[in-house]
Amino acid sequence: MPTRQVVVFLGLSVLLLAVVVELVRRRTLRVEYSWLWIAACLTSMLLIVRYDLLVSLTALVGAVVPTSTLFFLCILYLALLCLHYSIRISRLTQQVKDLAQELAILRVAVDEAEPRSGEGAATR
Amino acid sequence: MGQAGAAASAERVLIALPARDEERNLAAVIGELRGAWPAADLLVVDDGSTDGTAAVARGLGARVLSLPFHLGYGAAVQAGIKYAVHGGYGVVVTFDADGQHDPGDIGGLLAALAAGADLAVGSRALAQGSHRGSLARRWGRQLFGALARLLTGLELTDPTSGLKALGPRAQLLYALSRFPDRYPDADALVLAQRARLVIAERPARMRASRNRRSMHGGLRSITYAFNMLFSLLVAATSSERHLRR
Repeated sequence: MPTRQVVVFLGLSVLLLAVVVELVRRRTLRVEYSWLWIAACLTSMLLIVRYDLLVSLTALVGAVVPTSTLFFLCILYLALLCLHYSIRISRLTQQVKDLAQELAILRVAVDEAEPRSGEGAATR
Repeated sequence: MGQAGAAASAERVLIALPARDEERNLAAVIGELRGAWPAADLLVVDDGSTDGTAAVARGLGARVLSLPFHLGYGAAVQAGIKYAVHGGYGVVVTFDADGQHDPGDIGGLLAALAAGADLAVGSRALAQGSHRGSLARRWGRQLFGALARLLTGLELTDPTSGLKALGPRAQLLYALSRFPDRYPDADALVLAQRARLVIAERPARMRASRNRRSMHGGLRSITYAFNMLFSLLVAATSSERHLRR
């Protein structure tokens, strides 16, 4: 790989990694969501530094040019990320539903325990 | 609650009415239920209505469980069941708020529970002179009924019925497990069967509902059919561990 390409892409990968780590540090991104991103950054760095690995990987999967292997890896990664999000969203949906039901039940209990503040003040 | 309390509450019946934008139907439905079952507690589960459903229900003296936003028919039913579990009710009857069910049919369901069933389902196929809905819906019912039979050996004549009576075991199952939160139909019954509950069917007359904005129709019936198929397969094949969760 030409040195210019190595420098540019390595720089971009390092930048992305730094952004992800900083987001985690600021608690904007949760740790359990960050590992897929960190894995992607490290993988791309590895493949940039060791281009021969990409070439042998290309031979292994039977692709013709290393670029196709790279694109394939990218798409696979994005698909995994989407699946990961779908799983999280399913769980969140379930949790939101449970919370909403619980909230409604508790509200009935609270309303029955102490009547509306206006009426309550009058009767006390 | 102690043993004595639990025994006394065995007779307590909660009629849960999942309702979404039903302010025009509620008065008649609640009036009929009050007349037929004066001892039962009425709970209207307001599933994020945009009209005055909750206010109308309160005005009629029913208890109202107001979901903070629209969750879907199944989740509204489940909220009613969870309420009953918290309140220690011996029986929950789920009853549609649009007036399609007949309060007189509840008696048969309660008798089935008293005879040892955990879950009693009102079936329009067993009742004479019942409103059976469009041809497509009848075919859908038959298809899902046949599939449920094929997958689990469960004999169901009306798997889409919303009129059910649940004993304590059925309440616990539906409150704790992954109760289908869109349209619980044959999949909910397959779940009950796989959890080894005793299921009974009793005749129930369904009426053409009054001011009904149907849950099924158009593109929705296609997605409905797909969801139902998939949900049935999942319910029939999920492991014991997932049933218990």
